[in-house]
Amino acid sequence: MSEPISRRAVLSGLAGAGALLAGCSRVDDKIPFRQLLGLSDAFTLHAQRVLLAGRPLVREYSLAQVTRKFPVNGTLMPPGDAYRRLLDGHFRDWQLKVHGLVSRPLSLSLAQLQDMPSRSQITMHNCDEGWSAIAQWTGVPLGHVLSLAGLLPQSRFVVFHCLDKISMDGNYYYESLDLLDAMHPQTLLAYGMNGQPLPVGHGAPLRLRIELQIGYKNAKFVDRIEVVDRLDSIGKGRGGWWEDFDRAVWYAGQ
Amino acid sequence: MGDAFRETYARCTRAELHLGLLGAQGSATPMNRIDYRHPLPVRLWHWASATAVAGLLLTGLLIFDIHPHLYWGETGLEGEGAFVSFSGRHLERQVPSTELRIGASRWNTTGKLGSVIDDGFGGQYLLVAQAPEDWQFGATRGWHFACAWLLALSLTSYAVYLLVSHRLHRTLLPTRNDLRLKGIAHELWQHVRLRRQRGEAARHYNVLQKIAYLVVIFILLPGMVSSGLAMSNTMSAAWPGLSALFGGHQSARSVHFITALLLAAFVIVHVFQVFVAGFTNLMRSMITGRFAVDSDGEP
Repeated sequence: MSEPISRRAVLSGLAGAGALLAGCSRVDDKIPFRQLLGLSDAFTLHAQRVLLAGRPLVREYSLAQVTRKFPVNGTLMPPGDAYRRLLDGHFRDWQLKVHGLVSRPLSLSLAQLQDMPSRSQITMHNCDEGWSAIAQWTGVPLGHVLSLAGLLPQSRFVVFHCLDKISMDGNYYYESLDLLDAMHPQTLLAYGMNGQPLPVGHGAPLRLRIELQIGYKNAKFVDRIEVVDRLDSIGKGRGGWWEDFDRAVWYAGQ
Repeated sequence: MGDAFRETYARCTRAELHLGLLGAQGSATPMNRIDYRHPLPVRLWHWASATAVAGLLLTGLLIFDIHPHLYWGETGLEGEGAFVSFSGRHLERQVPSTELRIGASRWNTTGKLGSVIDDGFGGQYLLVAQAPEDWQFGATRGWHFACAWLLALSLTSYAVYLLVSHRLHRTLLPTRNDLRLKGIAHELWQHVRLRRQRGEAARHYNVLQKIAYLVVIFILLPGMVSSGLAMSNTMSAAWPGLSALFGGHQSARSVHFITALLLAAFVIVHVFQVFVAGFTNLMRSMITGRFAVDSDGEP
């Protein structure tokens, strides 16, 4: 997949819809159905991009509205000694790598990230399961880090490789965004939550906050950021761990 | 010979009518006439929305099942403060214990209805059945949005058609006559006795039917679409007022599920009525547009 939602997907989706209507799809041939899903995702992406043309911000809340017991979901504690050692050393030995289609690959310590221009925002986290909770997140805007690294002209997507594995298949968690969402002012690499360092259950030392999309896009335990032009060589090529494992939608602004 | 012939002819025609073999001109018998009842846009709308609503109700039920709690306000988590809640606990035995809580009332629903979501994959329950190993929640959501697009686009087109073609006034809006208390009472009594309409009365929607369709088209379905949109992160940035209109994100979610329940109730009654009023005739009229009117005084 060169892009999760391509013009080709739209066209083949329309063709798939046509094939279904014409009744010429074989019963065992599920491809037109998949293409219909691709068509629907493309509709959602393009419709929502029209709505986001003015680059609006998501709603921000007051401190009084912060949820007292924000649920911990996904990985509670990454397995293995390596993470344990990082945690015991208060992440002094941890470095965020930024690589791929950038002119200046970076390796940033937590202290270096904390010295960068920061943003704090109180926003609502919406899990695709249906619950929602409000927290204050503090971090450096992702756009700032990407600008430091210098995006090359062919860059299209930003991939977040994480330190945690989901027990279901033992692969490392990853997620991806396109550049429009990556450069949104509320898209943060967050190291703080509710005025405290990011707790382990919420992705210490660094997690993604992508307020324009729902829960699973907000990758925790970010280890390195890779800038790419296509997603098909990463994981199973659908742009994220849940997308690969569970066929979750890649563009999750819904 | 004349009488016998006429009787046979009438019987044949009736059979043909029920098989949909005769066109609009075939209504030459004194017993029946054929109306061209549903123009193409109505039939397209009916089947597009029927497909979409079937898909939405099924996938929506599965989505509800993942977090079977309804809250009011902006946030809601782990069933705390929920006004409706299916809580499940996986005890160290085969059958999980579940209960339904609405307000302060509690019912034990173990083995009948419920949802167990907190014991990981393989332990997920879809109402009463164990989720299959390869069930993909992410794909379920994808299909929900695909069906939502089908519904939203066909609803918008149909609403425009209703207004532009004047069909809204001609067929759906109750007339002054319809709204007389005596007429409504009569209709209710007819419905309670499961009597089907005959003759001239069968050629128009009755007042209860009109009200039901209007509520579905102009209240329930727009309510489904807008409360669904209100839950979107993008919408919360683009149109922040939409979620506020419902009283917050979780309120919009609750309105979405409660409206879905009302819509499901409509679907059940609607399908039941199709059987009461004549399955073959009504199905044919929604496929070909042609509706056979039973004449007055028939048994």
